[in-house]
Amino acid sequence: MSVDLGFITRIAPTLAQGLGTTVALAIPAILLSALWAIPVVVGLMARSRLVARITADYVEVVRNTPVLVQMFFIFFGSGVLGFPLSGFTAALLALVLQNGAYVAEIYRGGIRSVAQRQAEAGLALGLTKRKTFAIVVLPQAIRKVVPSLSNQGILIIKDTSLAATVSVAELTFQARLLADRTAAVFEIFFTLALFYLALTAIFAATMRLIERRVRIT
Amino acid sequence: MHLLLASAPLLARGAATTVYLSVVAIFLATALGLVLALAQLYGGILLRIVVEVYLYVVRGVPLLVLLFAMYYALPYAGIALDPLAGGIAVISLYFAAFMTEVFRGAVLSVSAGQWDAGRAIGLTTPRILTDIVFRQALRVAAPPFINTCIMVVKGTSLVSIIGLADLTYVGKAIVERTLAPFEIFGVVALAYLVLCLVLSRLGRLLETRLSYVS
Repeated sequence: MSVDLGFITRIAPTLAQGLGTTVALAIPAILLSALWAIPVVVGLMARSRLVARITADYVEVVRNTPVLVQMFFIFFGSGVLGFPLSGFTAALLALVLQNGAYVAEIYRGGIRSVAQRQAEAGLALGLTKRKTFAIVVLPQAIRKVVPSLSNQGILIIKDTSLAATVSVAELTFQARLLADRTAAVFEIFFTLALFYLALTAIFAATMRLIERRVRIT
Repeated sequence: MHLLLASAPLLARGAATTVYLSVVAIFLATALGLVLALAQLYGGILLRIVVEVYLYVVRGVPLLVLLFAMYYALPYAGIALDPLAGGIAVISLYFAAFMTEVFRGAVLSVSAGQWDAGRAIGLTTPRILTDIVFRQALRVAAPPFINTCIMVVKGTSLVSIIGLADLTYVGKAIVERTLAPFEIFGVVALAYLVLCLVLSRLGRLLETRLSYVS
């Protein structure tokens, strides 16, 4: 077995196409998960027992079932219902539904970690409950959750590879096509792994920048 | 309903494979994670670098890519693993990295004062580790450990992509023939849910047993 480096430069363009799709899936998946988690965390912390119960059940169900099954459920299910979703949309939906639940838990942890005293101080200053939350608790909570969000984002980037199973021509899909056609599988999967490592490293570095930006000094 | 009854034996067999994969992978990942965490905490510089590189790769590369790499590339290297053994190996190696972080974090969470206290009463380093540090670390490790176990159960669903007849694979095969995705994937999801919830209940039991107040 020998590794052909020249081959890597030849397969790189094909993989780069897949990279574009992976990025096009990962960015909305991360942003929408972060957004969708907001109503979820509001539901989780709602005063209405019923709302809190339903939201908690949703979180429990999606967190305890594989995202792959959710992807299949949405992809095949939408077809049977008569409005077939593209693999891309189905994958995006599944990623957001699953990771939104995880991110909501991260938000909740962040909000709870802000000491009760901070909220009391806000109220003592004559701020309304809403204002206390918006300008005392929330800004501190956001700072605290950035590292956890970074970890979750990396998991989302990695999970975009599952879109290959619903025929989305992203990185892993392209690599598999190449592997079916050639015998240079080591080079292909080595390059593929490098692409993912680069993606996650760039994302982690960006999050570190944000973390430094919002840090309380 | 009829469809579900007809599919039940197949799904049950798939579920058995999923349970088998999960149990073996959790066991192996835990064992390897413990060894790696210890290597990283107390090993030499070379060992620590090796573990760190391993953790870095697993943190950045999807499980599916590693499964494909095993499936496509290993035969070329002259290693013929059957999908079951290969799947177990890759999943165990992958989640061992998560387990390593769990155990390392737990050991590091035990305050340095505990070490000083151990030394002050004349305990040797191994005794401090086993009697003081690990005991407390176990309590910290229990919740994230259970979370990682649940990730393993969910992660085993990826073996369906390399052709292993686990729960997800069987479910998808039935759906492709019957066009009843809601019923079948609903049952499949329910089965995973039950598996994971059983794990969390066991975890909570473990936590109560480990807690100071009994």
